[in-house]
Amino acid sequence: MAQPDENGIAAQIATQAVNLAPATVISIAILILWQVIVVVLKIPEAILPTPVRIFDVMVERYDLLLTHTWPTTLQCIYGFLLAVAVGVGLGIMLAFSRLFRTGVYPLVIAFQVVPKVALAPLFIVWFGLGMTSRVLLAFVIAFFPMVVNTFAGIQSTDPVMIRMARSFSASRWTIFSKIEFPTALPYIFSGLKIGITFAVIGIIVAEFVTAQEGLGYLIVFSEGNVDTPMLMAAIFVLSVVGVILYALIVLLEKIVIRWDVGQQL
Amino acid sequence: MAENSVHVQIAALRKIYQTRREEIEAIRNVDMAVREGEFVSILGPSGCGKSTLLMAVGGLLPISGGSIEIDREAVTGPRRDTGVVFQSPVLMPWRTIEKNVLFPIESLGLRVADYRDGVAALLEMTGLGGFADNFPSELSGGMQQRVAICRALIHNPTLLLMDEPFSALDAITRDAMNQELLRIWQEFQKTVLFVTHSIREAVFLSDRVFVMSPRPAVISKIVDIELPRPRTLDIEETPAFNVYVAELRKAIEG
Repeated sequence: MAQPDENGIAAQIATQAVNLAPATVISIAILILWQVIVVVLKIPEAILPTPVRIFDVMVERYDLLLTHTWPTTLQCIYGFLLAVAVGVGLGIMLAFSRLFRTGVYPLVIAFQVVPKVALAPLFIVWFGLGMTSRVLLAFVIAFFPMVVNTFAGIQSTDPVMIRMARSFSASRWTIFSKIEFPTALPYIFSGLKIGITFAVIGIIVAEFVTAQEGLGYLIVFSEGNVDTPMLMAAIFVLSVVGVILYALIVLLEKIVIRWDVGQQL
Repeated sequence: MAENSVHVQIAALRKIYQTRREEIEAIRNVDMAVREGEFVSILGPSGCGKSTLLMAVGGLLPISGGSIEIDREAVTGPRRDTGVVFQSPVLMPWRTIEKNVLFPIESLGLRVADYRDGVAALLEMTGLGGFADNFPSELSGGMQQRVAICRALIHNPTLLLMDEPFSALDAITRDAMNQELLRIWQEFQKTVLFVTHSIREAVFLSDRVFVMSPRPAVISKIVDIELPRPRTLDIEETPAFNVYVAELRKAIEG
């Protein structure tokens, strides 16, 4: 049985760090192996640069990498937040309105079948090469898991708990805000975790296509120049951005969900 | 005297469930009068419609015919002067024990600040004094059901409806909870309508036991339990207790 009050956030992070130790050791081992193989087999840098070379590029060209990191990060967040607002909102509407369930849900499902990446050129036609197209692509990719998880979360509410609330004259709003929404929160957070990784994919693909700025642009640009060390440095930075965004959501989840959800999910 | 006036009056109650294929007659004809401050059990086999009856009294299920009156007013929906305890504790896992007990206050639109002392007193009385800030997952099943009882009492209802509240507990915990319930009942002098399928539990707790027949339900027998109060568990060893148990068993088996 968890005792959330006795474990502060700091203590939880410390525990996480200890849990991550084996993975860290293995990662370092792989990097060393990588370095050795490339050097011993004399693999050309354009095919596979060494980890040390990639690290050098990151240090030397940090200003260029940073210039492209910011727009990517910000646009990920914009697209993600838009997806949260629309996705969670739509999930709630689906749970409450028969009209939405019968009229809108099939359309949402049908839309999910469309490979979202294919929409990128269309967005460029409609909204140009700027940020709008990229944020919208991240949004359309990220919003589906939010809708489905919010809807499923609300639907998972124990009917006896709703009856209990009704026995105390609870209003429809009280039942939603104090019972159904908290019940749905763990599900919504699963949706957020999937959604943020989807948003990163959306932004990168959009940057490939719009080729204006951002790490996605830097990746295709470096590829054009056969600058594989820079290409891989950009991928590495991109991974770090993705991990940080994901970790922020996990942190938020730990702050918001302090109760034991073991049986719920 | 107030003790003798009728609190809950049920007349010619009928309840039909409409399923996709057929109509199921859950309750055919039930008449009941429960006096103020009385502890009444509704005893019957599983699936006989006794929970349905209780939920209808709580205003949580529409009825198909007849009438239910509380304090001479027809029941049309959940009432503010009623507290319900369900088979499972249905505590909100995201709320502390104190906040779970305070839920009816929020739900009824009352001032939470006015009831904090009340929560502390109820938790103290039910042996949960140190657990106000714990989460439900940290409590045993018996403790959780005690929290549910505190929640049903916090807004000071006059009528307590209990739907097999201890049926999920082990026998030892159940005995302890029954004793505790009697203590609480004696202290608060509420009217209690208690649904159970345990004959011994019904005899131990009640002033009167209404026996319900299998579906479609009617009241097949009413037994006055004239055992002295306050009652403790050793009363279950007395011949008088076992005479009541035998009488009720016979009534159930028809």
